[in-house]
Amino acid sequence: MPILAMLAVMLSVATILITWSVMGGFLKTLVNSGRSLIGDVTVSWPNVGFAHYEELIGMLEEDEMIDGATPIIETFGLIQLPDDRIELITIKGIDPVSYDRVTNYTDTIWWKPLEEPTAKDRDGSDVRLDPQFTGAMAMFESNAVTLTRFNQDSGQTERAGVLGVEVTGLNIRTEDGIYDPRAFGFRATPDGGVERVPGFMPAGGSVGLTVLSLDSTGKPVDPVTRTIPIANEFQSGIFEIDQSTIFVPLETMQEMLRLDEARKVELVENPFATEVDPVTGKRRPKMSEVVGIDPARVTTVLVRSADGADLQEVRDRVYEIYTAFEEKHVGEVPSSFSMENQIRTWEDLNATMINAVKKETGLVLFIFGIVSFTSVFLVLAIFWSMISEKTKDIGILRALGASTTGVAWLWIRYGTAIGLIGASLGTAAGYAVVININSIHDWLGRTFNLVIWDPRTYYFIEIPSEVELDKAIIVFVVGVLTCVLGSLIPAFRSARMDPVKALRFE
Amino acid sequence: MMSNQASQSPILDVKNIRKTYHLGRVKVPVLHGVDLNVRHKEWITILGASGSGKSTLMHIIGGLDRPDRHPENPASIIYGDRVITSMGAGALNAYRSTEVGFVFQFYHLLPELDILQNICIGSMIRYGRFGYRSHRKGVESRAMELLDRFGLSDRMKHRPAELSGGERQRVAIARALINEPALLLADEPTGNLDLKTGESILDVLAELRQSSGLTMVMVTHDERIAARADRVIRLIDGRVVEQTGVGSA
Repeated sequence: MPILAMLAVMLSVATILITWSVMGGFLKTLVNSGRSLIGDVTVSWPNVGFAHYEELIGMLEEDEMIDGATPIIETFGLIQLPDDRIELITIKGIDPVSYDRVTNYTDTIWWKPLEEPTAKDRDGSDVRLDPQFTGAMAMFESNAVTLTRFNQDSGQTERAGVLGVEVTGLNIRTEDGIYDPRAFGFRATPDGGVERVPGFMPAGGSVGLTVLSLDSTGKPVDPVTRTIPIANEFQSGIFEIDQSTIFVPLETMQEMLRLDEARKVELVENPFATEVDPVTGKRRPKMSEVVGIDPARVTTVLVRSADGADLQEVRDRVYEIYTAFEEKHVGEVPSSFSMENQIRTWEDLNATMINAVKKETGLVLFIFGIVSFTSVFLVLAIFWSMISEKTKDIGILRALGASTTGVAWLWIRYGTAIGLIGASLGTAAGYAVVININSIHDWLGRTFNLVIWDPRTYYFIEIPSEVELDKAIIVFVVGVLTCVLGSLIPAFRSARMDPVKALRFE
Repeated sequence: MMSNQASQSPILDVKNIRKTYHLGRVKVPVLHGVDLNVRHKEWITILGASGSGKSTLMHIIGGLDRPDRHPENPASIIYGDRVITSMGAGALNAYRSTEVGFVFQFYHLLPELDILQNICIGSMIRYGRFGYRSHRKGVESRAMELLDRFGLSDRMKHRPAELSGGERQRVAIARALINEPALLLADEPTGNLDLKTGESILDVLAELRQSSGLTMVMVTHDERIAARADRVIRLIDGRVVEQTGVGSA
């Protein structure tokens, strides 16, 4: 019977530890993936943007709490895909070099040469491993790093974009956790037929991007459409991002949204006004007068904090720097008062996603906790039964002079010992399962055709398999307490036993 | 067999012991005002039929049970200069542990422990978990001495289930004696043994009393066993109806 109690504790401890570790690992992986393209702190003034950003970046990078900063333009637009579908898309205009310093941009580039197969790709079927494509993959990678692509027809290197790997729907995610690009897609023609279009976007594919530009006061001016060649595709690890994001060069977005540098002119109100042309000396209709330069703008500056810096402290420091920056450009950039809520950490930005997963983890833990709590009653029932069985022995101990508390302590100590052994075994078993969870999962798949974590469904190729020490300690302690709690009532009962009745018990 | 080695000074003075058990709503009176006096080193036998209340009386004397309360005519058990009936639970535990040794009809050994551990457990309870460590050597030495005396020195690592009935009862006697009590309470110690083995157990007890000067109170329904005591107290329906033997009051 004590072995049954020990097993109950062991199983509940192992279950909770496995659940908490996998769900916690899932959250951690998700958050890290989300963070990979955001940086640590963002300074954002959506749509209209703000000028003098290079000066702000310079000021930010001088601070020791900050490792780097990069300008980006983030907006929404419409994308025309190879099959003529038009979808809403998030467009990020980036400077790839500084963007990579602040984020993990180059790590997310998908089409690049690989030397080793990824974790689930046991048969090495990933096209990126194929030696005959190594050169092409290296070129695609280089194109993504520079956001350019060579146009063979024109002989020119053109600005290009990098698409989320799920945007076109032409990359099929396999059960090995890799992508199998389709050779071609199809597009409907006006005569009712269909025609082939390139399926592998980095090799000649392009998309149409339409954005609505705004003037400096925020009023819409006109829609702008451009064809953007695709240099490569990226995978961040967050499906929503990979399904609806495109990176394009910062300059392209500045041009399309009219956020680039422009001359300020004073319009001539009298249409019949004339002036002398200083070159020819003849009179001509009065030209608009250039009164200044409207500097280029971006909507966001991403900041990467120094290693080990506290995120909230970095955010506060960025705000202080912005305040000093604003004092230099009063009236030209958004006020620091307005920016108070626009300077945010990546945690603030992803609060909805993070909280959703946290709540999900909490809910699952709660449910498993309730289920595991039944082990308290199981231990109680087992101890109750053991005490009934040992009634006569309790009477003997009392006859030999044992006190009521001494008898109770005996059972509580026994419960504690069983709890300690059960919780130790459960923690060890949980740890062993978590660190081998992918091998176990693979074995289940091979043996019983049971695939729980399907890479086609889940974005992470492997199940998170990290056990955090603090979680293991908490689960262990709770496991021991479960057993102690379960033994309390039976121990109390044993202490209250009438020794004479106990001795006569049959 | 009568012996006259008992001293005149009383070790136990029992007065007006009443006990009623409650079986649901039914009251079952067991003892109806028992008076008893036991002298130092005396061996008395309480003789009575089954249900006469002799075991209950022994439990009350041993501090395992308490007599009924009758404020107008209170019960009292005086052991030496201590009033057992006024003791709190802690003092009663100490009394059972140090002054009294119990021997039961069905031995009541702990099956998970070996013989040596079964004997030493009384001392473990007496000294407590930590105190026992400092007394351990002395206690084990005494346990082995008792086992040797009872011819069981080669069985000390055996479990109770591996011993015969007579051997188990000897172990139970050794356990009762481990803390060197002044009073041995034996409840039908031969009741579960054949005649020959029972005789051998009585010989052991008689020899013990001779050598150690124990005071013994034995409960039995067997007239032959009772005959070996200094004094026999006959109990019928919870009342002392007769006392016979040396110095009988």
